[in-house]
Amino acid sequence: MSTVPLTLQARSPMKALPWAVPVALLLFALPQAIDPYKTILLAYGLVMGIAALGFNLLLGYTGLLSFGHSAYFGVGAYAVALIFKYFHVRSMELFLLGAILASLVVSALFGFVCVRYTRIFFGILTLALSQVLWSLAFKFYPITGGTDGLRVPTPTLLGLPLDTAGDKILFLARNYYYYVLGFFFACVLVMWVIVNSPFGKALQAIRDNETRAEFVGIHIRRYRFVAFLVSGVFTGIAGALWVPLNGLTTPDILYWPFSGEIVFMTVLGGFRTFSGPIFGAVVFNYLKTSAVGFTTYWQALLGAILVFLVLALPGGIVGTVVQLFPMLKKRFSR
Amino acid sequence: MPGPVTRRDLLAQLGVTAAATFGASAAGIGFAGVARAQEKPKGTIPDKPFRIGHMTFFTGPGAVLGEPMHKGNLLAADEINAQGGLLGKRKIEVLKADEAAGTDANVKEMRRLKLSEKIDMFMGITSSGNTPALGPAAEELKLLTIFIDGCTDFLFDKAVPNPRYVFRVTNIQSADGSTCALAVAQTWPDVKKVAHIHPDYAYGRNCYDHFSIVSKKLIPRAQNVSEAWPKLFSTDFTSHITKTLAAKPDLLVTSVWGGDYISFYKQALQHGLFDKMKVATTLALGTAPHAIGKDHPEGVLAGVHANYHFSYPPGNRWPLNKTFVEKYKAKFNEYPNFQAEGAYTATHILRTAVEKANKLTGGWPDDDAIISQIEGMMIAGPGGYVYIRPDNHQGYKDAITGFSKNVPEYPFPILDPARIITIPIRNITAPPGWPKGEPTSTYTWIDQTWPTVKQA
Repeated sequence: MSTVPLTLQARSPMKALPWAVPVALLLFALPQAIDPYKTILLAYGLVMGIAALGFNLLLGYTGLLSFGHSAYFGVGAYAVALIFKYFHVRSMELFLLGAILASLVVSALFGFVCVRYTRIFFGILTLALSQVLWSLAFKFYPITGGTDGLRVPTPTLLGLPLDTAGDKILFLARNYYYYVLGFFFACVLVMWVIVNSPFGKALQAIRDNETRAEFVGIHIRRYRFVAFLVSGVFTGIAGALWVPLNGLTTPDILYWPFSGEIVFMTVLGGFRTFSGPIFGAVVFNYLKTSAVGFTTYWQALLGAILVFLVLALPGGIVGTVVQLFPMLKKRFSR
Repeated sequence: MPGPVTRRDLLAQLGVTAAATFGASAAGIGFAGVARAQEKPKGTIPDKPFRIGHMTFFTGPGAVLGEPMHKGNLLAADEINAQGGLLGKRKIEVLKADEAAGTDANVKEMRRLKLSEKIDMFMGITSSGNTPALGPAAEELKLLTIFIDGCTDFLFDKAVPNPRYVFRVTNIQSADGSTCALAVAQTWPDVKKVAHIHPDYAYGRNCYDHFSIVSKKLIPRAQNVSEAWPKLFSTDFTSHITKTLAAKPDLLVTSVWGGDYISFYKQALQHGLFDKMKVATTLALGTAPHAIGKDHPEGVLAGVHANYHFSYPPGNRWPLNKTFVEKYKAKFNEYPNFQAEGAYTATHILRTAVEKANKLTGGWPDDDAIISQIEGMMIAGPGGYVYIRPDNHQGYKDAITGFSKNVPEYPFPILDPARIITIPIRNITAPPGWPKGEPTSTYTWIDQTWPTVKQA
């Protein structure tokens, strides 16, 4: 059985407060200080942070590398678009409800198949299943619009009437940013509780040694299945929150490179820490956007960064900082 | 409906003409705006550069279309900057952005260009998968935009039905499928079995729809025997080619374009496809001309997006084209494609609108003033007159297609100068006031108003 070095430690919520509170306050205050464009980018980053958080429950905590998380993200997003298309609903809460249900159903179906396997078999299965969804979105032109995608207009938030004359950019950078931020905090909190609960501990036990975990009495497949569900739903929520930011859904978000991006951001931030995937998502989002703007060779640039990351910073950004921090502390206290 | 119409009558009604182009005629046709001496602008003009964000394909199989678009923009910007810039003061700066990053990233990038780079205008776009996403985004940003291509009818039919800031300069997409079908009806009226290979996205479906509706009217006996829908930016067409061969059609219609078309025709050559059937394309010679090799078969109906081929109008018959091609060749050491012409014309549309608006308002005109001048503008570009319809902000120019031919003067195939087909654009596109239709307004317009010819 493979063992991953254990650095995910149980921490009481109190211990996290000294850094969590300033970060939260910063996220609250930032839109006042930065321009609307950067705020919208940050909102993208937070949304992807939720997806990466969900993804990392499988990778970092359960030891399962999914290469098909675009599926749940896409299901969340397409649920929103289809709800609008067929029911003409514009309430974000109903969108989210639909996305949660849809991603729950799809991750239950896919999870049922996938959790029977681990390692490369698990990765390939998740990849294959996500490609099935992609090809459905791609080919069912009358329903999904094919590669043209489906447009979704500005939703109403919390049932408040829509200011139709309003500026869409300001809407995204103010109202919608705080809406996303609210969900982001809720998701982080829920995930924190999950990974520090007995259930979360059991997942980590399964990750570290499957055989031992089984002997302790953990029903491995069931635990993996539940982790898969939670992971899928988190990613689905992210997909739904992403739609108003982008304005439309396209099969791109169901395609395998998008799954790759979720893996990339998680590795970038560090999958052995709780906050790593979140930071990775925010940083990746800035990185990709500036790379695309900076050079037409942006793919090469991102590729080079990934290679550097794997070779030089296997712990990711947060993982490396966490490792360096005690060393620095020692040096400065001397 | 009046009595039965023959194909010949209907083609004549539609003004479909195939004519040998004759050599250089006497010069002396008046220039309509491009590259003339600058009048002194009214009021004080700031000398802040005018920034244009130009997004097109710089990487991947779309780049053989995208790169020339950017170059057309640069060439016009150079001409304008040589005279001091817009209104003699504001030099044009062109910022590049890669369309290949994907639709979602493109929306982000457009926002970045406007909000962070503070561009004054947005230009570009090749893929009709992207304009329906970027059109609404531009309207949200209140960003003056001229799309060069990405010419899906869907943009102004549905995605932005009442455009304010968004314009598009190259022909509406339905014209492409219709032009191809009319050319087939004129050239090969006896085809009975038709196969299709189209990229599986907006453009391919649009070409299929409009080819089908026009051929239903003009060659009603033709039947579909095979359809293949490769993914956009495929490199392997073998399975689609063998499927087509197995159906034994008389005619293959394809709207595969860019690097995809290059892969397609090379693979089709290996299978001897061009020997076994006639081939009609919508965009074969729409790429940068040098991208197609002399191994490309002759006599293929080689579409240029119903827009422009540098060899037409020939010689000095339309001096704007002669000077454009010469300047483009001198600057980039290659020949322009329809997108280079589109971007070049669009940049001059901007210049003309700014100059006209300045005369009315004095000083640097605001976007509203510039927009009011672009709406309804008729301008002569290298390919002919372009009219920007005020109601839907769509550019219209007469459609053109022709047949591939190798000539000693060029190291690549061109349109056979003896067999250029041109069609007045108003005869193949839905007129102003025609209700929005499904799949497009032009489709319903053709379906409801064109007679079906009597086929012997």
